[in-house]
This record gives sequence, structure tokens and C-alpha cells, in this order.
Amino acid sequence: MIEAHIHKTLSTANGKMLLDIQLNIKKGQFVTLYGPSGAGKTSTLRILAGLLSADKGQIVVDDKVWLDSKKKINFSPQQRKIGYVFQDYALFPNMTVRRNLEFALEKGQDRSIIQELITIVELEELQDRKPETLSGGQQQRVALARALVRKPEVLLLDEPLSALDIKMRAKLQDYILKVHRQYGLTTILVSHDVGEIIKMSDEIYCLEAGKISKQGNPSAIFTNDRLSGKFQFTGEVIAIEQEEVVYIVTVLIGNNVVKIIAQESEITDLGIGDKVIVASKAFNPILLKIEK
Amino acid sequence: MNTFSGHISDIQVNESLSMVSVRINEQVELKTIVVETPETASYLKIENAVEVLFKETEVIISTEDTLSISIQNKIKATIKEVKKGVLLSKLLLNSEIGEMIAILATEVLDELMLAENQEVTAMIKVNEIMISR
Repeated sequence: MIEAHIHKTLSTANGKMLLDIQLNIKKGQFVTLYGPSGAGKTSTLRILAGLLSADKGQIVVDDKVWLDSKKKINFSPQQRKIGYVFQDYALFPNMTVRRNLEFALEKGQDRSIIQELITIVELEELQDRKPETLSGGQQQRVALARALVRKPEVLLLDEPLSALDIKMRAKLQDYILKVHRQYGLTTILVSHDVGEIIKMSDEIYCLEAGKISKQGNPSAIFTNDRLSGKFQFTGEVIAIEQEEVVYIVTVLIGNNVVKIIAQESEITDLGIGDKVIVASKAFNPILLKIEK
Repeated sequence: MNTFSGHISDIQVNESLSMVSVRINEQVELKTIVVETPETASYLKIENAVEVLFKETEVIISTEDTLSISIQNKIKATIKEVKKGVLLSKLLLNSEIGEMIAILATEVLDELMLAENQEVTAMIKVNEIMISR
């Protein structure tokens, strides 16, 4: 259980912004922070990790007080049981994969965790290689394993997959979910990828200008649960063309471009760049297996 | 999108599917099948006000009204306006539940000799109607 109430005045490109965030995250939950750049997502993670100090607030994790500005309690990052993975992997270039993991061990810690993590994230073949010889996805797997060496209770992921291609991303998502479940972690992810968020998280907090604007179940936030259509996606309008008695609206959904036939009444308020929900009934689509 | 307001008059549930009847007015009830149940969707309640939605392209037009056909939703209508395109044409209908649009192939429009002021039946399959609260 993470209960956090954080206040911090941040200096942003658009002047000062007050970060005022309250989180109530159950143990074992996978939570995503979502919102535009500069909304305070990374600052929230850094304050939770103790890498950035809050102006005031409390952070209580499993009845342990990590931060209480009134009582002048402020645990150092090392005292907080946290694993942190960033977008850039920040591995030591002169060490092998195995050494990178071993370097994260605490004094006197049982070393068997290293082999366990190497097995879980499937690094056996790579363990004697240096980071520079690995692909981005492989390096991020090492960074994920390294973040788990000290057996954290909380895993913080700051856009860890945004530099990876789609295929690698899907694979890494599976590794993250695997360790999240296996170690009973409470995980907080920062992500912009709606598909990733719906796949991975139990709960989403939408941040805007330092405040939580919305909170809830990700598929309810991103789809329209007021509509019975089960085939729902969110996308962005990239073209609207009139043809004969109908309009053809082109919508970018993830990395796919789809076309929708629409009537004048549906496109009157619609412009290029608008976000839309594309909905159909579960009865209409067909499935075709892609041969391997 | 054709949109009409109504009230839920009946819900038949089996496993995760529900057949929902929505009373639009005294004469017309539209049926729709949805992958929801009253447990998964709070709006599925008898007498709840909902909207029914269906695409103009899913409206089937017939010039006869006593067809034996596997379509449950049948609505009487008069053609108010015809907009003829090359491949597709648009019918603006004055129906017993209000204005409705149907998009159909121009070939069919010619074949059935559909014209303004003609009485027709508009039909929509149960799996083409969505509910929105």
C-alpha cells in the first residue's frame, strides 16, 4: 500500500507550477501515470524515490513512513525499497551484464538473486557480454533486472520502453508483467502509449499541470463505457474527405490507419488532429489468423 | 449515425449476452443484442432512458412490409428526399420514430425505383444497433 500526498513547486518552461498529487495505491497494483509532458509525472516518481525533495507531504509504504515533512522524516533513496528504470538504461559500459547486476547488490546480500533474475528475464546467453554489444531491448532487460536486485517493494518505470520498436516493446511489457507478478511488486509506470497502459495497468492517474484530473480503470478512461459497442479504439483524425453522399474519415489508431464512413452530422465538429473514439459492435469484425 | 431516444422495456440475459428491447414510442420497440449484462453495464435497467445508435449504411430498405425475413427491427417510413450518387445514394426518411438516413447502392435505388413520397420499410438487424446511455 502506497499512500502519498506530495506538494512541490516546480519550475517549468511555462513558469512555476504547483505539483499537488495524492496517490492511494494498493499493494500489488500496477498503476500508470499519464499526461502531457511537463504535467509532473517524472517529478512524482523522483519524489517517491527520494531523488527529488518535496516541499511538504507524506509518503507511507506498507505502514512505513518514508517521508513526513511535519515530523522531519525523510528516507534516503537507499532506505526506500524502490527499483527505478529510466528510458536510458544507464548501465555501466565497462562491466558485463552479470557484473552490472552484481554491482547493485547490498553488502552481505544473498547472491542467489542474481542467477534468479538472469533466469527470469532470460539473460543467460548475454550475461558475459558488455552493454554496448546489446540491442536497446536487451539493455533495457538488464536495467529491469538490475532494478530488482535489492528486492524492492515498489518498481518505478519512467517511460522505459519509449525508445524501443513496437515488437521489442511488446516483449519487454511481458517481462515487466512477469516480474511484477512474480515478486508481488507495486509498480508505477509513466507511459504515453494507450495500448501499453490498457495492457499493463490496473489503474490510471491522469495528470494535468501538476494535478490529478482523472483516475480510474484504464479501459474505462480511454474507451467509452457508456456505449455498448465492444470494438472500441481511441485514435486521431488525420483526414476527412467527402465522397458522393458520405464522408471518409481516416483515423490513426496506434500505428494503424483505419477508414470510417461517416455522415455529415458526425463530422460537423470534427477536425484534423482531434481525438476520437472509433466504435463498432463486437458482432461486425472478422478475425483472420496471420500465418507464422 | 442514426440516433433515437427510448426506454429499456425488456432484457433477456444469457451468459454474457443480453437481448435488449428499447421502446422508442407507443408503436415501435427496437431490439439489440449486446455483449453486456445488467451486471457489467449499469445502464441495462428496465425503464432506463437510453439512446440507440445505428449506422446509415446498415439500414435495409424494402418496398414490401410483410416480408418473412430474419430481421427483427422493422420501421415504417416515407422517403422524404433522395440524394443520388454514382455508386451510393442517400435516402432521407420520415419514419414512425423520426427522421432517419439510409445509405444504399445506387443500383438498388434504380432497381427498386425508389422515389420521394414512397412508403417503405426500414429494417435493422439486432446486431447492428448500439446502446448509449
